[in-house]
Amino acid sequence: MRLATILTASVASIAIVAAGAAFAEAHGPKRIGITQNNVGVDSYQTTYEQAFIAAAEANADVEVVVLDAGGDVARQIAQIEDLIQQEVDAIIIWPTNGEAVIPAVRKASQAEIPVVVTNSNIAEAGFDFVSSFSGPDNITQGSRAAEIMCDRFKALGSENEARVVQISGQPGYTTAIERAKGFEDHLPEVCPNVTLVETQPGDWNREKSQQVMEAFLVKYDDIDGVYAGDDNMGVGALNAALAAGRAEGITFVGATNFAVGYEAMEKGEYWGSIYQSPVDDAEAALQTAIDLLNGEELPFLNYFDTPKITQDNMGDFTKPVF
Amino acid sequence: MSRADIGRFLARQGILIAFALFIIGFTIANGRFLSPDNILGVVRSSAILGVMALGVTFVVISGHLDLSVGSMMSFSTIVVLDLHDKIGPVLAIPAMFAMTLCLGAFNGFLVGYLKLNSLIVTLGMLSAIHGLTLTYSGGKNLDIADKDGTWFDIFGQGTALGIPVPILMFLGIAALLGIVLAKTPFGRKVYAVGGNGTAATFSGIRRAHTVFICYMISSGCVAIAGVIQASRSLGSQNTVGQGLELDVLAAVILGGASLLGGSGTIFKTVIGVLILGFIQNGLLLVGLDFYVQYVVTWVIIILAVWLDIAAKRGRLWSSIA
Repeated sequence: MRLATILTASVASIAIVAAGAAFAEAHGPKRIGITQNNVGVDSYQTTYEQAFIAAAEANADVEVVVLDAGGDVARQIAQIEDLIQQEVDAIIIWPTNGEAVIPAVRKASQAEIPVVVTNSNIAEAGFDFVSSFSGPDNITQGSRAAEIMCDRFKALGSENEARVVQISGQPGYTTAIERAKGFEDHLPEVCPNVTLVETQPGDWNREKSQQVMEAFLVKYDDIDGVYAGDDNMGVGALNAALAAGRAEGITFVGATNFAVGYEAMEKGEYWGSIYQSPVDDAEAALQTAIDLLNGEELPFLNYFDTPKITQDNMGDFTKPVF
Repeated sequence: MSRADIGRFLARQGILIAFALFIIGFTIANGRFLSPDNILGVVRSSAILGVMALGVTFVVISGHLDLSVGSMMSFSTIVVLDLHDKIGPVLAIPAMFAMTLCLGAFNGFLVGYLKLNSLIVTLGMLSAIHGLTLTYSGGKNLDIADKDGTWFDIFGQGTALGIPVPILMFLGIAALLGIVLAKTPFGRKVYAVGGNGTAATFSGIRRAHTVFICYMISSGCVAIAGVIQASRSLGSQNTVGQGLELDVLAAVILGGASLLGGSGTIFKTVIGVLILGFIQNGLLLVGLDFYVQYVVTWVIIILAVWLDIAAKRGRLWSSIA
């Protein structure tokens, strides 16, 4: 397997460098290279790539070099170096690891190629070498989820006694930590009498989340709300509650509205989520890079809007494709 | 029973003693640990890992490894879900079994007949099958369109006689494979091949064939696990089985099978699976901070292995073995 990877990588690199050299001679549209985290591992990233390519094709002023690190930090570093060699005008990176890519990002910055980080930011130590971040604001997502939950409790009249459990994403993962922080900090501000009784990780995995929820249901006789770090885990928790016959009285709120979450909302079993479109994410990243190249002044953090979606307003949103 | 008999019995069942100790410990920490609902819940969610571990037990006893079971389980789950909507569950299940068994046959051919190192072969298959699954699904999550109108949920969510179906399947397959391993000529060949392959060959045992069948059993178990998994949530991510190969191996080794081959039993693998399942659940019920859970889980597992070894040699530590 390793040998095959090395061979493929070498052939690909040679092809990329050769193609790059050929391109560099011609003056033409701005060339933007992107190295993604792990296309194909989930629907979000797959849709993101398709949307990115579509947006680039629709714009005659840009040409894109689309690469995928396959979740491998070493490969991503090599890809950044390739893009530097090709002298692209800008590099967009979806970090496989917020720390390990910093030296490669620094090289790009030294070569005076602007770097845009997309979706998940790199560690703060690397901020000096990055021109801009484009992506969702996970802390706001967490606090919006707290508002959704709190508004629902008020509507049900249980805002003074409700007890909530949280199922968070993969431990150590920035998105997971930020969403949990946003939720935990904001919930007491909007609903001071609601208790967050326990948080356990569901590792972005529906099956794991279902097991965690099963344990919560055994442990607590009274659960009024479940906040999950994404809808995949939220639906896992819902399945556990349905199996135990206790879904009726529980308000389920997630984040990153997935098709399964949307469907469960249609059925009236799942209350709300945060609508985060990979298409918006991809288009925002490309636009940020283009704006930078056009010399526009941009804030360091460019968030695209991720609105609240609940059973009440879901008609305004199209069903997610992932 | 004389004192010596009790001693010999305890020495053979060190892992059972460890299991009993954990159960007592967790029950003291949280009274609901031993409630029937919780026990059924834990065994039910362990069933997927458990069925896979039963198959891997054969491979390990035959002296080999199977690291491809995790990604193979993702494959079978995704395939059966996809085919469910295309050709209906009645055809989808056998079609998926056929495909998964082909993967097992490939493993078995490479390790059994070509005599390639099983660690390398199945590590490679782990990646290859993951790629296959992603290609097959185009990277998207798969969900059954009409979740209320299918009977396919019976394998993961149904109950019979008040007991969840996954548990019945796990125990049923465990009983069947337990008999195959302990009571049939084939079972004795598996031990012989794993214990001393050369001697087995000179005794007229077809070594390659035996190893091949072990990998087929392993992939068959994976296919069953895939059906349970798919049926449990009627939808799945591509990575649903990712990392399970190590949990499976841990359960098998925890049960006392030797990585060098030639020893182990189905019963002990079942105990190994239950220990892993109850540790995970127990730590959740105790409500330990989850960063700490990773550490504690493995401290407990290592303690269990130590108790098992200590019971076998009759003392806690020894300078010889």
